[in-house]
Amino acid sequence: MSEQAAPREFGWTMPRGWWTRRWHYFWYIVREFTSLPLALWLLWLLVEIRRAQDGPQGYHPHGSLGFVVFSVVVLLFALYHSYTFLTLAGAILHFNLADRPVSSRLIVLSQFALWAAASVVVGFVLIYFARS
Amino acid sequence: MSFAPKRITIKASRFDPAKDEKPRMQSYDIPFSDESMVVLDALNYIKGHVDGTLSYRWSCRMGICGSCGMMVDGIPKLTCNAFLRDYWPRPITIEPLNNFPVVRDLVIDMDDFMHKLKAVKPWIIRKQDPPLGGGAFLQTTPQIDEFRQFSQCINCMLCYAACPVYGLNDEFLGPAATALARRYNLDSRDEGLKQRLPVVAEAEGIWECSFVGECSVVCPKGVDPAKAIQQTKLDTTMRFVLPFGNRD
Repeated sequence: MSEQAAPREFGWTMPRGWWTRRWHYFWYIVREFTSLPLALWLLWLLVEIRRAQDGPQGYHPHGSLGFVVFSVVVLLFALYHSYTFLTLAGAILHFNLADRPVSSRLIVLSQFALWAAASVVVGFVLIYFARS
Repeated sequence: MSFAPKRITIKASRFDPAKDEKPRMQSYDIPFSDESMVVLDALNYIKGHVDGTLSYRWSCRMGICGSCGMMVDGIPKLTCNAFLRDYWPRPITIEPLNNFPVVRDLVIDMDDFMHKLKAVKPWIIRKQDPPLGGGAFLQTTPQIDEFRQFSQCINCMLCYAACPVYGLNDEFLGPAATALARRYNLDSRDEGLKQRLPVVAEAEGIWECSFVGECSVVCPKGVDPAKAIQQTKLDTTMRFVLPFGNRD
């Protein structure tokens, strides 16, 4: 008696341009991609910090037009990435206050408020020490 | 004065494993006689009146059994809940759910999901069963609210079809299985957390998810599997980091 072969199936393969087929997928890829230039910019920041160790005489920060444009683009990426990250906090964090669950909206708003407060503090510190 | 009845074109994916190398599309022009007609009604009309060889799964026709999930114009939907009036007069393309092997026509092989579902033990686990006659295990409303939304999952697999992470790596545990694991982990009657964690908290479990979020968008029952996955990430991290975290 011959063994009957298993029925043949058509296997799934992900289309190469899957992320262009829906806006949701596209913005997800954009969100993920923003990490790459951010990481490059931060690596350069580490290099600048290392060069600044020798004191102000030997320190010449990179200020070409290309680098300024790159920094502005990275700033936009950072803002977009931060916005998506903080918005997702509403789905991630869950806790009760006075035996009642805190709403996702309130959690997201508190994240943005903390972000704004932290930005003000960091900005103040940078400006204050730059002037003194 | 009589009006010609409306008609609609259904383009259905066909695949006969005995003949076809790959799926092909076949068009059916059918009457659209009733505004309440859904895509599943259209498929049933084709099956009953036009082409009896068309294969697809369905059962309840009311969004409960989760059998009739297919790609409707490229989006995973329950065909019993996709109204023709929302697409007419454009033709509608019906394909089997993405990310799964196709057995025939619109029927997918769901074995992989079934294995994953079983692996997370989606049932109440007790270390020691209370004695029979010991009374009901009562739960308060807040205790039920903890897991209620995750218990609405009907295993329709639309979330798997929407998940590009699963499409790229079928080792990923996936949205529904994780949501159901969380449903039981949050249940005050359950004591099976430590049995589920080795499956849920491994690299191909929650940590494979990069939060695309489309699973929650397509869920026909309002379950938020992306939330279940991210919350489980946070909980397992806290269990690892906090000195009192590794409790039962």
